[in-house]
Amino acid sequence: MAQTQTISIPAVTGRTRGRTQILEKIFWYLLLCLLSMVTVLPFLWIFLTAFKGPNDAVYSTPPQLIPHDPTLDNFIRVWNQLPIGRFFLNSILVAASTTGLNVLITSLAAYPLAKMNFPGRDAIFYLLLATLIVPVQLTYIPSFILAVKVFQYYDTLLALILPNISSVFSIFLLRQAFKSVPNDLIDAGRIDGASELRIWWEIVMPVIRPSLATVAIFTFVNSWNDFFWPSLMLHTRERMTLSVGLAALQGMFTSDFRGVAAGVTMTVIPILIFFIALQRQFIRGLTGAVKG
Amino acid sequence: MRKKLSLTPYLFLTPALLVIAIFVLYPIVAVVYYSFTDYDIVTPPQWVGLKNYAQLAQDSTFWLALKNSFIYLIATPTLIVLSILLAIVVNRNLPGIHLFRALYYIPAVSGSIAIGITWRWLFDVNGGLVNGFLIPLGILKEPVQWLAEPAYTLTIAILLTVWAGVGYYAVIFLAGLQNIPEELYDAALIDGCNNFQKHWYVSLPGLRPQIVFVAVISSLAALRVFDEIYILTNRTGGILDSGVTMVFYLWRQAFRLSHAGYASAIAIVLLLITLAFSILNVRLLERGAEAN
Repeated sequence: MAQTQTISIPAVTGRTRGRTQILEKIFWYLLLCLLSMVTVLPFLWIFLTAFKGPNDAVYSTPPQLIPHDPTLDNFIRVWNQLPIGRFFLNSILVAASTTGLNVLITSLAAYPLAKMNFPGRDAIFYLLLATLIVPVQLTYIPSFILAVKVFQYYDTLLALILPNISSVFSIFLLRQAFKSVPNDLIDAGRIDGASELRIWWEIVMPVIRPSLATVAIFTFVNSWNDFFWPSLMLHTRERMTLSVGLAALQGMFTSDFRGVAAGVTMTVIPILIFFIALQRQFIRGLTGAVKG
Repeated sequence: MRKKLSLTPYLFLTPALLVIAIFVLYPIVAVVYYSFTDYDIVTPPQWVGLKNYAQLAQDSTFWLALKNSFIYLIATPTLIVLSILLAIVVNRNLPGIHLFRALYYIPAVSGSIAIGITWRWLFDVNGGLVNGFLIPLGILKEPVQWLAEPAYTLTIAILLTVWAGVGYYAVIFLAGLQNIPEELYDAALIDGCNNFQKHWYVSLPGLRPQIVFVAVISSLAALRVFDEIYILTNRTGGILDSGVTMVFYLWRQAFRLSHAGYASAIAIVLLLITLAFSILNVRLLERGAEAN
């Protein structure tokens, strides 16, 4: 590519080209910094407010960003009044068990849809696809009644896990992945007399590991950020997940901006660390979903 | 090939289908039934025929919610344009570009409740950054009560959706851009295209699958918006219901007022709109594909 460029602009000398390149770079970095202010500034402001002491202004024009009198009191106050640690534990428990079960159950279902011939296969698949159009909030009215009257798991974490251990989206993605596995591999297993269960678990599952990771990340993030259904189900403070707990915090600390800021900071920072650690998988998962 | 009908595929499918039957298929049927009943969740449903639908037709809040949900669709084209622009900006090999890409992605991973709370404070009349910056700059003369002004509620929620989504969708478009063969851009340069024309004639057609995906996903999300409204308006729906959308109204009727029958009728209307919208989406995009 570099060669094509040198040929197409032969009149420019090496020195001026070097200079315009540097200017161009400066322009792009300025633009990138400006754009990142748009996404980062609101969070930065919240984080800094969380450290503000009683003598720092939170209501001032122009705004004071940097705390002059930094303190950890806000964090301690919020931590003592709300079981933030518990919220975390609950969110991890719900997201991890939902993800584990979802990946297992949907990959079990996706395998025959991709690699076996049986009556009703296409009908089942298209029925599943059709349900993707249904707004999930529609299902919450009957699901709520089921939760209270049939399953009786209102106000428990099970109510958040059970409805999500299968999802059409996961089945759809994994079916695509299984389809790309060569038939020879599966036939070899069948000739060796392995059961379908063993072929699924020992032969095909390892091959589609990247897709399993995609589905796992998707399910985990969705479960972690889910709010509507958890807010309907969870009442007792000790049983709340992070999103429901945060909404409760906003209600409790209505006029205590420093407290709200400390609560948001405590919940967002660990998520950001998690994201940065898994950034590559995140992005691959996201772009993989489009192709699927 | 064995011809014997095997139970294996059905056994593989059973757990997933069972969960989907209970939490998706049964609720659809139940919601259709509830929508013809008076149902307060505690006492058994009473058949009332079309009464709920007749009432909906005369319910001005419902029409407002319908209008607001359609207005919310502005988020989709805005998101597409801004995320493509952002993807073009970050699609270059500069040292540290990965860091910037991660920064733009932060709102998307932080969770709707955390970013909703952040925005509530951004637009706070006293301590908010928006008033705090606009007043010293002379753009505003006095503090504006952003979230207490019916005219602004929906706009702020849409801005929040766009702000949170741009980095996320830009990742999808970035992957699309990186799949476009470099030769196409070289050919465009040789044909005398300038930078803008290069993207107009090469990038945009190349991004077609991603545009389709983002259009469908983000418009369905816009029709189903809830979390943003819930947090920004503190569960009220805004002054004069200015921020009430279809799903928010469904939530209020079903889970605040215990009008499960009436809420089910709203859910059915939402389902029909989503259905019509999906068909329209597919048609439009097919026509676009032919034009290409």
